[in-house]
Amino acid sequence: MFDKQVFGVYNGGMISEEKLHILTECAKYDVSCSSSGSARKNAGGMGNGYIAGCCHSFTPDGRCISLLKILLSNDCVFDCKYCMSRRASDVPRATATPDEICELVVDFYKRNYIEGLFLSSAVHVSPNHTMEQLLLTVKKLRTEYNFHGYIHVKGIPKADPMYAFEAAKYADRMSYNIELPSEKSLKLLAPQKSRESLLVPMRALAKEKQIFKEEKRKGYFLPAGQTTQMIVGASPEPDGQILRLSQSLYRANGLKRVYFSSYTPVVQDSLLPSVPAAAIREHRLYQADWLLRFYGFSAEEIADEGENLSLELDPKCAWALKNMHLFPVEVNRAPLEVLLRVPGIGARSAYKIMQARRYTNLTFEDLKKMRVVLKRARHFLTAGGKFYGENRQEAVRGLLVAAEKPATAVQLSIFTGMTEAAQSALYGEL
Amino acid sequence: MIYFFDGSKEAFLCALARAFCDDEAILTSTNAQLSMGQQSIFVAADGARAAQIEQRLLGFDKNCMHDLDLLLRSGDAWRDAAALRYFKFLAEKKRPVRDMLSEEAVIAATECMRRVSYEVHRFHGFVRFLECASGALYAPISPNHDISDLLVPHFRARLPQCPFVIHDVKRKKAAVYDGAHTFVAPLARAEVALAADEKAWQSLWKNYYASVNIPSRERLKQMRGYMPVRYWKFMPEKQLSPSSPC
Repeated sequence: MFDKQVFGVYNGGMISEEKLHILTECAKYDVSCSSSGSARKNAGGMGNGYIAGCCHSFTPDGRCISLLKILLSNDCVFDCKYCMSRRASDVPRATATPDEICELVVDFYKRNYIEGLFLSSAVHVSPNHTMEQLLLTVKKLRTEYNFHGYIHVKGIPKADPMYAFEAAKYADRMSYNIELPSEKSLKLLAPQKSRESLLVPMRALAKEKQIFKEEKRKGYFLPAGQTTQMIVGASPEPDGQILRLSQSLYRANGLKRVYFSSYTPVVQDSLLPSVPAAAIREHRLYQADWLLRFYGFSAEEIADEGENLSLELDPKCAWALKNMHLFPVEVNRAPLEVLLRVPGIGARSAYKIMQARRYTNLTFEDLKKMRVVLKRARHFLTAGGKFYGENRQEAVRGLLVAAEKPATAVQLSIFTGMTEAAQSALYGEL
Repeated sequence: MIYFFDGSKEAFLCALARAFCDDEAILTSTNAQLSMGQQSIFVAADGARAAQIEQRLLGFDKNCMHDLDLLLRSGDAWRDAAALRYFKFLAEKKRPVRDMLSEEAVIAATECMRRVSYEVHRFHGFVRFLECASGALYAPISPNHDISDLLVPHFRARLPQCPFVIHDVKRKKAAVYDGAHTFVAPLARAEVALAADEKAWQSLWKNYYASVNIPSRERLKQMRGYMPVRYWKFMPEKQLSPSSPC
């Protein structure tokens, strides 16, 4: 039924099992897999965008598969110390043709294996050549294969910005990976990349998107915006600095998400730590990131510049303990932004409380029935003037630490696509 | 009194009317255990009566029939009780009660509806189509709730040129899109002639699934939480092979 007239010329042939394996193996450490944020319409071919995002499968490492995450090539001329595809590394190399990728996407998509394509590449031959190939692939997929599903394209640093602008007309989302949180670490570990080569195109794309919107031009220009990713634990930057950087990226560059990737040693190098960074640190950073994006916190409130986040308490609890003079708040009167600052009350519980209290005066019993988790919240709330928590700050701290599930240490990827999808579905924020 | 009904919307509305003033009422469309001295009655669907009651209820809440549709699709045992309490409560309040989230009747019904809509969302991702020799797509599913026809608009929007069948093998029914129309038909078994390269694409997909996993970060419990084992039956990537035990 998907005949050649409708879906363009199929001439790439099926990609070989070996090539697919090599090109996926190298792409899998990229964290981003979300397919949310784009409501692209089907225009007479195959596929459309799913604004809330959709997970199609889950791998044994607990991460979701939403997009076909693949490199166009893993044959790299750069020599970033932490990367398994770096020039000096002895791994099997492969390069796919644009048609091989397009056919793979279309056939996987029609069987509902994937929500779209996440296309990245090692720097093959030169930055310009690589970016040109990426552009060629997405353009082909959209125009010749008539595919309207989700496409996420990686930007290649140091390539001509015209390629990125052109690719942005076809992609739903683009991302330049910041990789490391400071210029100094970047110089040390990724000598061919510079802070400017990553931030400049990011800013240029954001500006172009704004112009596109203001002039109400036809078509699409990155409907799902931009994201970035940085490695945590390979270099010495503290969490406070990382969060300030994230915040400035959200505010100044209009990024949709900053992903953190806990450092895993895949290559040996004297400049790199030989042990993986603790998963709990990544988890705390994501919690703090959620506070920045959905709970109205600022990075300055969460951690001082040189400070790391507490590993035994989540960042909201840690903030509340420092600000006990603001609590307890009355659940029947507190405005939404205050409810959201109560430890243990998330966006969903806050929404339920806001709705329910329009009809009745809520008691603690009501909150329990509504499945608002009170383990932490009871120390910070009154319901109808009644308080069931602990008054002494030290005791509260002990109870909060005890309330932390030991399992959080392994909930590494709890905030991948799935949760983002759920969040954005609930609030339409992405 | 136990009120049996056949699970249809009309029969539910008639049973609701009969049970409305009965505080001890149990409404059920499945087998219920009768206790000593308890009476039971079978309420048949009466189109005219049901339409009357529907109009009354719509007067209280113009979206309530959508709620009822979701509730009656649920495969959970407590769905009839939840629906009865919810609609009794609606009829008492004579206004939309959806947002009265601290009321037990609303909490139970909301939870029941949420489970149905959540499964629809999950199946947008978990449906696996097989390509047939004719070019049509065929997907067997066995969901907890009766959702096969709710899945059709999603796939129709993204594959408008392609006929497909979503076959609920548990309920022996199929939601069909023939390239122009959608309809639901009873279907016990389906004989499917697969396209020549279907197996090869499946094999590439399994290869992808195995390659994108990071074995050093195994979190099996989390995987099963997001993708429960009951859904694995028709997913090629979860069919056991010696090289990939999970």
